[in-house]
Amino acid sequence: MAVIEVRDLVYTYPGVSKPSIDGVSLTVEKGEFVLITGPSGCGKTSLCRTFNGLIPHFYQGELKGQILVAGEDVTGRQTFDMAKRVGLVFQNPENQLFALSVEKDVAFGLENLGMSRDEMRKRVDWALNLVGIYDLRERAPHEVSGGQQQRVAIASVLAMQPEIIVLDEPTSFLDPLSAERIFEVIYKLNQEQGITVILVEHRLDLTAKYANHLIVMDKGKICLEGNPHDILCNEDVGNIGVGIPKATLLHKQLKMKGFPVNPKTPLCSDELAAQLLEALSK
Amino acid sequence: MSVFDGLKFRKISSPIHNLDPRIKFIYVIAIFICAILFPQMLPLIILFIIQLPFVFIAKVQKQWIRSLRGAAFLAAFIFIINVLTTFFYNNYTLTFTNVESALAMTTRFIVLVESFSLFFLTTSPDHLGLAFEQSHMPYEFAFAFTTAVRFVPVMAEEAQTIMDAQKARGLELEKGNILKRIRNYIPILIPLIVSAIRRSMELAEAMESRAWGATKKRTNLYLLKLHKADYILISLTILLLIITIYTKLYVQIPQISELLTSLTLFAT
Ligand SMILES: Nc1ncnc2c1ncn2[C@@H]1O[C@H](COP(=O)(O)OP(=O)(O)OP(=O)(O)O)[C@@H](O)[C@H]1O
Ligand SMILES: [Mg+2]
Repeated sequence: MAVIEVRDLVYTYPGVSKPSIDGVSLTVEKGEFVLITGPSGCGKTSLCRTFNGLIPHFYQGELKGQILVAGEDVTGRQTFDMAKRVGLVFQNPENQLFALSVEKDVAFGLENLGMSRDEMRKRVDWALNLVGIYDLRERAPHEVSGGQQQRVAIASVLAMQPEIIVLDEPTSFLDPLSAERIFEVIYKLNQEQGITVILVEHRLDLTAKYANHLIVMDKGKICLEGNPHDILCNEDVGNIGVGIPKATLLHKQLKMKGFPVNPKTPLCSDELAAQLLEALSK
Repeated sequence: MSVFDGLKFRKISSPIHNLDPRIKFIYVIAIFICAILFPQMLPLIILFIIQLPFVFIAKVQKQWIRSLRGAAFLAAFIFIINVLTTFFYNNYTLTFTNVESALAMTTRFIVLVESFSLFFLTTSPDHLGLAFEQSHMPYEFAFAFTTAVRFVPVMAEEAQTIMDAQKARGLELEKGNILKRIRNYIPILIPLIVSAIRRSMELAEAMESRAWGATKKRTNLYLLKLHKADYILISLTILLLIITIYTKLYVQIPQISELLTSLTLFAT
């Protein structure tokens, strides 16, 4: 079942002549882990903003085409209505936290929805536990690390129990280890809670292995789309400016040099190591 | 960085910190009223002394003394002005009573500083924001307040970073006359303002994405509830007001100078 359907979307920011999204059509199925990548300025963030109606409600501008979330047209709904369906997590953790304590921040969206205090308490504790920061609930935002701040941002979106969670480069302010931990949390949500994940990320090295739907964008268009195993061995990917995982590159080299590896493209070093062991034991 | 550390709020717990901020505020106002009602030295000294236990229970002596020290200059100023005006007004004579009433003015000011600093030293900003939210003020006020508290240290840090960056590029802040020095700050202010605007856009976007404005009847994770200590404080406050009004109406308050003279007379 499709949870998001975008049809022939063209969007131009106000006061800009060139469209930032230039004829995008895509379908996201329920429970998918979608990875969106592409060079800087190709329109990834703009696309994310259309999923909960920030574009066109907050940003105005000119929009053509259709965005359907769970079968409903986003342009006819307010952003605060969409917030219950689609949760957005942004790049800079600092600018998404407004309250003076972690748990108050997680409760922010629920307070806005006018939820009762008992129900809110349950949801907040549930969300904090899910991302593993229950112990930090009474800390102030500046007392926790960047990685923890980003977890707070994720928890605050989760507390609203959306069907879809969209994360726009959630780890670009973090070191690789913290980033990896965040990705693990996101993957767990996808696997255990069945939440549809849309993740924008440059570092395919860390994330390609989680995804079952990869979208490569360039200049406001989608240029490649499909299973990451199929896409990443494509010759064009390298030319667009996408960071292909090192394991994938090494696999390609080995194949070219005639080493008898499994033809399936690996996405991370674990997968490649397994293939190498298999080849060596023959 | 130590200058900016002072801007960061800390959570401390003590019986005084845990009091309901609304009740504490009523107490501060009551002290304010009492201090205004008495022009004599003696009751003002008593008002000063009865607040001391709170300072010690809250364990904020150090910061509290610092705030009093900060007010010392203004207090001295009030004293001197008072003494001088009475001096010139009474044809260049000065009595003990005159000095004492000038001292009383100064003490009144100190009592006000004492109670206000006690309030702000023992009330955490999130508690205060909560009090705003739950006293039927528009939520936007409370939100503006907590967001300001939240982002002041962040922006202060940013200002420091920009300052360092511009200095590294050869900007000399402490050079030239006053006008030149003010102009030196422009390369710091502009990036700071630009970044503040960008930050506010991102904040607005994040707020929208978390259902800001979904309903007029916003709820709150926390509920301010009155505890035993709050009832004790409100009783003490009412008692204080009653005593004040009674004393004001029926008791002749002696001047300390008179007391002292009669005491010396008695001794001889
Ligand atoms: N608020 C805005 N107003 C006007 N133009 C914008 C705005 N935000 C983005 N753009 C333009 O839209 C285009 C796409 O930007 P977008 O932020 O979506 O790219 P991106 O793929 O997210 O890039 P990055 O990887 O750097 O985050 C860019 O040309 C950008 O200049
Ligand atoms: Mg972006």
